Amino acid sequence: MSDRTLRVAICVLAAAGAAIAGYLLYERWTGGPLVCATGGCETVQNSRYSKIAGVPVALLGLLAYTGIFVTGLLRTELARAIGAALAVSGLAFALYLVYVQNSKIHAWCQWCLASDAILAVLAVLTVVRLLREPEPVAVAAPAVAAPRRR
Amino acid sequence: MSKGARVRQQRVQAPQKRGGRRIKTPQPPGQTGSRRNLYLGVLGAVVVLAAVLVGASVLSSGGSSSSPKTVSISSVGATNKLLAGIPQNGIELGSPNAPVTMQEFADIQCPGCDQYMRSAFPDIVRKYVRPGKVRIEWKGISFLGPDSEKGLRYVNAAGEQNKLWNVAELLYRNQGTENSGWVTNELLRSVGEAVPGLDADKVQANVNSSAVNRKMADAANEFTTFGLNSTPGFAIGPTGGTLQVFNPSAYSVDAFAPTFEKYVKQSR
Repeated sequence: MSDRTLRVAICVLAAAGAAIAGYLLYERWTGGPLVCATGGCETVQNSRYSKIAGVPVALLGLLAYTGIFVTGLLRTELARAIGAALAVSGLAFALYLVYVQNSKIHAWCQWCLASDAILAVLAVLTVVRLLREPEPVAVAAPAVAAPRRR
Repeated sequence: MSKGARVRQQRVQAPQKRGGRRIKTPQPPGQTGSRRNLYLGVLGAVVVLAAVLVGASVLSSGGSSSSPKTVSISSVGATNKLLAGIPQNGIELGSPNAPVTMQEFADIQCPGCDQYMRSAFPDIVRKYVRPGKVRIEWKGISFLGPDSEKGLRYVNAAGEQNKLWNVAELLYRNQGTENSGWVTNELLRSVGEAVPGLDADKVQANVNSSAVNRKMADAANEFTTFGLNSTPGFAIGPTGGTLQVFNPSAYSVDAFAPTFEKYVKQSR
């Protein structure tokens, strides 16, 4: 898989994750009902675990996805590193929230699970991108003089 | 090394890309160490970031504070789905313009109330309350024991945030053995947190408020006025008119339907 393909996949997935986080945040701020097949989305959204020090977890997710999206646009080594750090730490936190849904809230939020799945794939892609050799640096080939005929 | 030999060596070490305009630079020996540092940096950032997020979440959720722990409760999704979008105002469920009013006198511990809430209530909500034909008022009674009053106070306090029905329904769905001490702070906390839009801390703070005391006294007075002596008890009539005691033949929507339909027709 080329670096370009990886970057496109990362950007698409990050945009999808940002859309989910944005939807959850919008419904939270407007108080609208969530579309929910699992029946527990609002329970999870209104639980004490849905905020950290007053900041909605959905907002943190939106910021993280935006950050990963931006790193997907950039080709620098630093961007690869930040993208991987954001995705993997986000996945670790997402796994903690899966535990919370199962053991503390006793309700499942389909949007959160979809976001978790996206984060898992993003974590793999960003780590693969980080571990790959850096792209060839574009430099001019040394001018080689044609051997003189004697 | 002659100049020609150096050129040949460069060609071998740095193969030219197509067109011969760009070449891949070989990785200098120092870069392996710098990449290792990069990986370590990323790993460190991941560990710190994840630890901060999880730690902040645990602290923020009161995980290490004195707030009650939660317990596993059932039927959260079903309850929230059943009541989602239906207007609630204090003890009332349903549109204030509904032509029929039913009062339900119930003790949070009574098994009959639980049976009614499981067997008849969901269908009544779907067929009569949600379409705006019937509105229900919950009149909480406490006569079976200490668990009754504890649960009733919490239910009425949730009514201050217009979520009484969600809490009452969830308590019935998770009802324990009568007077076994099943209405614990942990259970109430879990129920409160499972209701969308309900501030569980605020509910707990209001369980002994004057508003809750007044609701309990009003319900007890009406229970006596209607001459009821057991729960669940029902009174049905036109909204704004006189309600009559209603004794259902069974806890099913079919037992209530003819009476509801009679008052709906009268209102037309």
